[in-house]
Amino acid sequence: MDLVLQYLVYFLIASCLLSMVRVIIGPSLPDRMIGLNLVAAQTLVILVILSVAMDRSIYLDVALVYDIFGFVGILALARYFSGTKEKP
Amino acid sequence: MKLKTRWAFIRFCITFLFLFAGWLLFTWSLDPGSLLAGFAAAFIIALLTFRIFVEEEEAGRRAHLLRPHMLLVFLVVLIFNMYIASFQVLFFILRGKINPAVVHFRTRLKADIARVALTSAITLTPGTITIDLEDDHLLVHWLDARTTHSRYAGNLIKGTYEKLLKRVWI
Amino acid sequence: MIIAAYVFFGLGIIFNIMGNIGVLVFPDVYTRLQASSTCSTTSVFSFFIGCMLYAGWGPITGRLVVITLFFFVTNPISAHIIGRFAWQSGIVPWRKSYLNRNDPSEDEDD
Repeated sequence: MDLVLQYLVYFLIASCLLSMVRVIIGPSLPDRMIGLNLVAAQTLVILVILSVAMDRSIYLDVALVYDIFGFVGILALARYFSGTKEKP
Repeated sequence: MKLKTRWAFIRFCITFLFLFAGWLLFTWSLDPGSLLAGFAAAFIIALLTFRIFVEEEEAGRRAHLLRPHMLLVFLVVLIFNMYIASFQVLFFILRGKINPAVVHFRTRLKADIARVALTSAITLTPGTITIDLEDDHLLVHWLDARTTHSRYAGNLIKGTYEKLLKRVWI
Repeated sequence: MIIAAYVFFGLGIIFNIMGNIGVLVFPDVYTRLQASSTCSTTSVFSFFIGCMLYAGWGPITGRLVVITLFFFVTNPISAHIIGRFAWQSGIVPWRKSYLNRNDPSEDEDD
């Protein structure tokens, strides 16, 4: 496993933790959804980089399924909360 | 009745071609077992879902007769614009001076899938996000609003994309 | 080939850091969405291009092309869904100032 890719994975994990700050302190509901979208995208990159570093093409199936479920999760959240009005 | 069955067959063929191309790209192998499994799976899934994948009221030939080389040019222009706009947004974040506004304009594209592609291209460029899409009426949030006039803002945001998309989906 | 991959990784790291800072700094839902689009579109795309250049020609590249195309289709739609949800739940966009609105660039001459 290449050292550059290894440190890239560490950097992306730290970046995910930085994105989680917005999920925790977000004042309204769409703010938290923005944070979750960011975390989903960065986790997808972590999976792809791990698969390239270990040279196993089977891990990319996991990445594709994760991508699909991130999209469906955002869609389900928006559909589930679409009836509620935002309280100031 | 004859026309409807023929149109259903054409829709089935379009769905099957898309699914099989996706299978070939994803498995990246040409041995006969893999090809046979992909053929069977694509056949069954296309038989089940071609009513959802292509609408029955879609205006016939115009929506699906795309030109691949113009689509490639569109993708290259989109990626180039994406990097340019990314550097602009990075500059805004560093300086902290932003001037956001909501503008609205209309599009002249006819086919539904071309409108969806235009919306996705506007959202994919950092700095502009499509909030709402009525029939041909777009509502765009713009990070650096140089103008709020409808026509000028439309020219600045969607100009090159609309010209290229008009050639892709005829 | 490896050098080009490292250049794209560097671009991805720069956009990632700036997008995260933008999400934390900006004042409003829609502007935060713009910054997150910088981070989650351009940075992820740079990382994918870097991985394609790093892996070379083979089965990994084909699957990466599929994942990149799928990402190109789904990511703007999820950003659009969040923006539309914020718009429909009645959040007003942030403006720079409500006082001096009569600057000459906003003349409406049709």
